[in-house]
Amino acid sequence: MARVGVFVCFCGANIADFVDVPAVVEEAKKIKEVKYAIDYKYMCSDPGQGMIRDAIVAHRLTSIVVAACSPRMHEKTFRKALSDAGMNPYLLEVANIREHSSWVHQKDKKAATEKSSDLIRMAVAKSIANEQLHEISVPVTKRALVIGGGIAGIQAALDIADARIPVVLVEKSPSIGGKMAQLDETFPTLDCSQCILTPKMVDVASHPYIELLPYSEVLELDGYVGNYKVKIKRKASYVNFDTCTGCGACWQKCPVKVPNEFNMGIDKRKAIYSPFPQAVPNKPVIDAEHCTMLLKGKCGICAKVCEKGSIDYAMQDEIIEREIGAVVVATGYDLWDPKPYEEYGVGRYKDIITSLEFERMVSASGPTGGVPLRPSDGKIPKSVVFIKCVGSRDEAKGIEYCSKICCMYTAKHAILLHHKVHDSHAYIFYMDIRAAGKGYEEFVKRAQVETGATYLRGRVSKIYQKGEKLMVRGEDAQIGQVVEVEADLVVLATAVYPYKDNPELARLLGISYDKYGFLSEAHPKLRPVETAKAGIFLAGCTQAPKDIPETVAQASATAAKVCGLFSGDTILKDPMISKVNTDYCSGCQNCVTVCPYQAIVTEEIPLGHGSKEIRTVAKINEGVCQGCGSCVAICRSMAIDLAGFTDMQIINEIVSI
Amino acid sequence: MIALGQQIENKFLTAVNKKSGNNILDCYQCGKCVSTCPVSSFMDFPPREIMQMIKLGLKDETYMANSMWFCLTCAACSGRCPREIDIPRVMESIRHLAIEENVNPDDPHVKNIRKFHEIFLDMVRRYGRNYELRMMAEFNIRTRNLFKDMHLAPKALLKGKIPIGHEKVKSAKAIQRMFKLAEKLENTK
Repeated sequence: MARVGVFVCFCGANIADFVDVPAVVEEAKKIKEVKYAIDYKYMCSDPGQGMIRDAIVAHRLTSIVVAACSPRMHEKTFRKALSDAGMNPYLLEVANIREHSSWVHQKDKKAATEKSSDLIRMAVAKSIANEQLHEISVPVTKRALVIGGGIAGIQAALDIADARIPVVLVEKSPSIGGKMAQLDETFPTLDCSQCILTPKMVDVASHPYIELLPYSEVLELDGYVGNYKVKIKRKASYVNFDTCTGCGACWQKCPVKVPNEFNMGIDKRKAIYSPFPQAVPNKPVIDAEHCTMLLKGKCGICAKVCEKGSIDYAMQDEIIEREIGAVVVATGYDLWDPKPYEEYGVGRYKDIITSLEFERMVSASGPTGGVPLRPSDGKIPKSVVFIKCVGSRDEAKGIEYCSKICCMYTAKHAILLHHKVHDSHAYIFYMDIRAAGKGYEEFVKRAQVETGATYLRGRVSKIYQKGEKLMVRGEDAQIGQVVEVEADLVVLATAVYPYKDNPELARLLGISYDKYGFLSEAHPKLRPVETAKAGIFLAGCTQAPKDIPETVAQASATAAKVCGLFSGDTILKDPMISKVNTDYCSGCQNCVTVCPYQAIVTEEIPLGHGSKEIRTVAKINEGVCQGCGSCVAICRSMAIDLAGFTDMQIINEIVSI
Repeated sequence: MIALGQQIENKFLTAVNKKSGNNILDCYQCGKCVSTCPVSSFMDFPPREIMQMIKLGLKDETYMANSMWFCLTCAACSGRCPREIDIPRVMESIRHLAIEENVNPDDPHVKNIRKFHEIFLDMVRRYGRNYELRMMAEFNIRTRNLFKDMHLAPKALLKGKIPIGHEKVKSAKAIQRMFKLAEKLENTK
């Protein structure tokens, strides 16, 4: 005979304000199997859990129903309380009377109370059919894959590798470094970006536990947490990295000039190139789209000048496989293309540039030698207008979010402009100044007071050309008047936008992303570095706009998560997975087709006991199955059941109301 | 519409900063001064906007506003300013700059306010302190409004709000010498 205990939570005022909790308890007591029912202010607190533990022993309960918040929130907490009392944790059922009742029926207390009682009745009925389940132990491959070699990927790789866990770091471009390598100085301390980044890049290259795969892309990911198999494409670089010394003779002699991506197209690079002087690895690659030798079979100069004979025009893409246990995704961001701002004349006026172009210009190693120059005539600008929120927070342009870093880097740009061109003046059009961070507000003050940048509160409405100058019109809301600034150069702080291939990558990894393409975390507050898929973690701007300190912190957090996952030789997995009753299985293999995790394979078993004839049945790979239930729904012979959600449990729930 | 960007140097800002001993760039436009100021609703531009106008180098607009003349120098604003700007001193500095450049706002009240200031200073110069009865009389004569506020006189007298005797400090001569010295210093500067 089942003896069920029901524990109803007030959740402070969250439930109690809209549900008559004592009435719900009284109603629960009327259920035949319920031997104990009680309410408490916070069931998840230590005293609340203590009540459950004590009641289990005192009333010899056989299953527990906690009526509280969503099981996503505290199912684990209450399961642990059951374990502590010596009860199998899977004998717990959570009736979600917060998200499913009190929060959504705030205007009708009576109905919310009735619904809560119904939800509890269902949970009680289900719990009666609960079985004791035990976590499944699966082996772990202690090697991590890091996708993306920007500061996030670098930090994650270094932290994991320092824990003596092998790391495979995959970077799509010829060098690691990412966006941070393109920056001049960093807010709020004006540290030289290269000076703090390049030592870390070198550490990555020389680390005994890091396998660096530049110029490579992830093609496929199979398997499950602790046991993934990844296919990586190593793009043909046409240069043998083992013999190349990085002397540079090849790119000095190469006759083909191509816009330099690293310098935002301000200057040219060659068809055989290393992206920047401090690149890691400092080996060139041939850009197959522009190399005359590869396109037309003529030229071959680089091969002639290479003393080591490292150039190999016949090189092919190579696909390699690695076995890994966890993945850190750190693909970073792109700058949003401001073309939709037709009112600013983007594309029409040469002297409108993006913030990253300005960053490259003021960089000492940049294409203009550290001095900003007007793209139209190469003159040094004196009056420079910076426009913030270009794209960001502009719903008409399709972006609702704040890009978070623009306020700070624009303040930095104003300071840098003043450093590089002393007799210049910065005008900054802004909507708000968001300077939340250590030393950030002080940094903005420095731009305003020491540098004397003029902050004008308002969005720019239009830009037009007048002679050599650009006329920038906007409102200064501080005095409620329209202002028009005569500018030599206009710098747009364009929105931080997810890396364009994120959706494709998310699909191949089996994780979710938002409407913009930012990859989604498992919980916005409590699981900000995990994805919904076990063993895959997020670091940096791939998840949302972030500055460098925050990115580094998140990258280190992913490293801690990976190290935690790899701390034992096996990992425990939720036992709520599918089971096949081979007696009923007809071997139709519909389940194999619908399984989104490729967790179902087939096996051949004897037709009957001792029979020599065989038949094919479905077999679940326990390590891979995520318990989604698709196979249960498709199975026409009802041969598959999902532990924790058996047909019996579901039917009990339905019958109970 | 306000045109900006033609001149990189903001001479007006430099002049106000020098005169007032404050840095107007410190102002981050919170508006606490405006909500504190007892007379901001009578001003053409409240103190916060004046600060922004100085930042933008809008000299003429600032001089033509009545704001600095309406400022009572009560210092409630500076007492509460989170960036510790001495706003009354800034207002006073722009008054001085405007007088030096001989710019007068159109607001008719400003003429009277200026006369009031002049008479007050004259009183101090002559008697070492404010001789209130005389000051009232002179103000009424010079503004050609003889009977202004006269109806308040009996009540004020009865309550002892207006001293009847001749108000003067003991060594008014010394004060006069101080004024002369100050003028001399001002001229040699």
